[in-house]
Amino acid sequence: MNVYSIAYKNLLRKKVRTTLTAGGIMLSAWVLATLLGFNRGYQQGLNRDIDNMGFQVLLTAKGCPYEAATLMLKGGTGLRYMPEDVVKTVYANAEVDKITPMLMQGVFDPDKGENGAVAAYLGVDAETFPGMKTYLEFKQGGWFSRNDSYEVVMGFEAAELEQREAGDKLLIPGMDEELTVVGVLKRSGTQDDGTIFLPINTVQKLFKKKGQLTGLGIRVKKDIDMAAFENKLYELPDVQVVSMAQVKTTIMNLVNSARVIVLGIAGIAIIIAMAGVVNTILMSVMERYAEIGIIKSMGAMPLDIFRMIWMETAILCGLGGAAGIGLAFVTARLAEAAVRYFLPYAPNGALIALDARISGFAFALIVVGGLLSGIYPAWRAARVRPLDAIRSEGE
Amino acid sequence: MAKKMLAVLLLFCFAPSSFAAVGCDLNDPDRDVARLFPASTNYKTRYLSIKTGGGPELLTRVEKRLGDSFHGLYENIDVPYTLYDIYRGTQTIGYIHGVNQKGEYGGIQVFLALDPAGGIKAFYVQKLTSRAAKNLRSREFGSQFTGLALKDFEGYDPAAAKAAPGSPPAAIKAPVKAGKDFNSVMRAVKKNLILMDEFVFSKKEK
Repeated sequence: MNVYSIAYKNLLRKKVRTTLTAGGIMLSAWVLATLLGFNRGYQQGLNRDIDNMGFQVLLTAKGCPYEAATLMLKGGTGLRYMPEDVVKTVYANAEVDKITPMLMQGVFDPDKGENGAVAAYLGVDAETFPGMKTYLEFKQGGWFSRNDSYEVVMGFEAAELEQREAGDKLLIPGMDEELTVVGVLKRSGTQDDGTIFLPINTVQKLFKKKGQLTGLGIRVKKDIDMAAFENKLYELPDVQVVSMAQVKTTIMNLVNSARVIVLGIAGIAIIIAMAGVVNTILMSVMERYAEIGIIKSMGAMPLDIFRMIWMETAILCGLGGAAGIGLAFVTARLAEAAVRYFLPYAPNGALIALDARISGFAFALIVVGGLLSGIYPAWRAARVRPLDAIRSEGE
Repeated sequence: MAKKMLAVLLLFCFAPSSFAAVGCDLNDPDRDVARLFPASTNYKTRYLSIKTGGGPELLTRVEKRLGDSFHGLYENIDVPYTLYDIYRGTQTIGYIHGVNQKGEYGGIQVFLALDPAGGIKAFYVQKLTSRAAKNLRSREFGSQFTGLALKDFEGYDPAAAKAAPGSPPAAIKAPVKAGKDFNSVMRAVKKNLILMDEFVFSKKEK
């Protein structure tokens, strides 16, 4: 019989105690793997959301950094505008790769619900906008034929709510003009799903905002000095620069603060679990004091006893750790739903990205922690003197 | 039991992200239920669909009773329907059920408040984009549906937008400029009543 099977059988002698200790380790491993997965998933999701915006810098009129939010909060009014000429000025910068002007407008629709609601329309440039949003695919139709056509492209959810298909008509509340739906986008998992896109010149004409914009999306060339470029943009009169990198950093800073606290809690959970391991194995050593003495009197060396007890710890931590990581995979969706419920902003896509690397790291951390916890009980067991042990049994 | 729990957990783990078709919920159920059923004390929400309620057979039956097939991207077997059971104490005093209907210029959401026998107590268009939106959502127009039931709509042909001569739907007056949206509303009412019959009333009889 080898040392592994002896250690395994020793654990089975106290099934309830072994199960409870392994359960504690499992919970620690579950918390650790879920948190590590969340850390990666959130960052990936945020990067994806920002990349999906299609541009790295958003230029808006001063005082209006978040146009859609302003629109909803103020009931379709309160937007600030910048002159269309800014497109040429910005495009003249060598750092600019692509540029796309946008004009958001909203109208109050009294026929939505009991109290009415705001319907928002985003005017975009048919030539430059699709190039920025290359990930957008069509379920039906395609982009507008011209920038002044009375045509509409609808995000998946907007089309579903309005029950629109390519070829259908759309009426802007309060206006007598009919528009034709020329395209319905596939679901993208971004804010574009709920957007109604119109050609920019059509929005300018319908809402009497000729020569005005609410936003300018800028894609910069690779390897430019972003900070210097942003400073250059700040020199433009009455505009505000929203850098997607800044937005990302701000969100990540907020999330990191919360993450430090949660990782601290996970650390405490691991320490408690390891204390449980020390307690369980030490108790097991004390209970088998005489037995260990007999084994040693039969010729077992201190290193053999150390290995036997240490192996018990390793099995306990290995099984608990593996079960915890398995549980993290199984409950990833539930944990994700909980995170989405509690966090004010959560990016689209999977929030908990578990993979072999994270699982391996969490497993290794738990097993190493367990093995460190097992050193003291194993050392105590290795130091048992056979005669003392056998005498204590007799007493 | 343990196996069932494991199966449920595995389902959460491996099920691909699924996006359900758009349903038709009341925007503010607490307020709307109290308005449509002033005597109510509480309500319960149920989610139903043709897919889970009977599958393709039920779809065929509903289409046959409607006299028109389900069409378009959004009118399909997967659409979830929200049914509100209305109570006064423990007694069921009625139901509220809504359907989405494709209109000429946008989606129309038509809700019916029904008594326990299936008669229309109130008609409510929650959302509508139309040149005659104000009139189609008016109390005068809605009151024409009060007291009608599924049997009254049996002779209404949504495909041809024609009511049987002398039947109650034939007497319902279309608002000025309502055009095709009036026909859409009539189709939505008939579809709503048929679905309620399939989901609730015919099951009660059985």
